[in-house]
Amino acid sequence: MALSEAEIARYARQLLLPGLGEMGQERLRAARVKVWGAGPLAGPALLYLAEAGVGAVIVDDPGVVGPADRAGWLHGPSDEGKPRLDLALEAVDAANHFVYAEPEGRGPGPTAALICLESPEQARAAARIAFEARLPHVVAEVDGEGGSVTVVPVGGPCFECSYRPGGDRPGQAAGYAAASSLAALELVLLLACLTPEPRGRRLDLLRGHPAARATVRQPGCGCTVGRAP
Amino acid sequence: MSRLDIRPYSCPLTWVKTRIALERLAPGERLEVLLPEGEPLENVPRTAEEEGHLVVSRAPAAAEGPGCWTVVLEKGTPRDAAF
Ligand SMILES: [Zn+2]
Repeated sequence: MALSEAEIARYARQLLLPGLGEMGQERLRAARVKVWGAGPLAGPALLYLAEAGVGAVIVDDPGVVGPADRAGWLHGPSDEGKPRLDLALEAVDAANHFVYAEPEGRGPGPTAALICLESPEQARAAARIAFEARLPHVVAEVDGEGGSVTVVPVGGPCFECSYRPGGDRPGQAAGYAAASSLAALELVLLLACLTPEPRGRRLDLLRGHPAARATVRQPGCGCTVGRAP
Repeated sequence: MSRLDIRPYSCPLTWVKTRIALERLAPGERLEVLLPEGEPLENVPRTAEEEGHLVVSRAPAAAEGPGCWTVVLEKGTPRDAAF
């Protein structure tokens, strides 16, 4: 379905991006993105997805706001103790009323996923679930003031194939913001079919500079046969 | 030939509307754009040329109202994304 006058006005500047156009915007609108996490690593991505105009943002997060969340964009000191899920849904809704902000299970299932979990073990587990569900997904990881972003298109090498245990530096505000927004951008490019080939890639943020390389399937990884390892 | 009236809009919507209308055409097809003199008349044809389309003609369209112009664009072959 073509974009409405109101949608064209809302997304005017994004529609001018080379290659995006009306068709790309329609592809974004057709997407239902599940976001794992609603903490500091997810905040910028949630706002980016809302502003970009994906059809729905489905948030999955069981936590409440704690002191560590102040490194993110969504929470202030007065939010401590509130459910992060509710605040994330409010932020998405406030950013763009064309986007459905949903807790998990309310509407149809997701068509893509963005994994923004501070714990590497939880991120790996979520990536396995997204892979099994054949959802194109992007994983954000933070490492101090940097981090990395891994893009896993359907049929591409899985997250495990390029996973490296990171430095154990705790996340900093700048690292959360950079990895989170870059992850959302990569997912937007993937959903709008603007991703350069090869589409499976990993971007490492080193001293503020993203370095991209194609991901390759590790010999013996179970993802060869379309199954998560 | 398709026709588009962008007089109700201001920048950047003037070009956004034109670009979407061009997107819906096949290369070689033409679009007649009604626009006011001033910024839209200067910028819309120029941006169309920058993006690889052809400006076939531009002429005053007094019958449509004072200061109204008609610009005919021919769709070029689409460029690749810059990403
Ligand atoms: Zn693998």
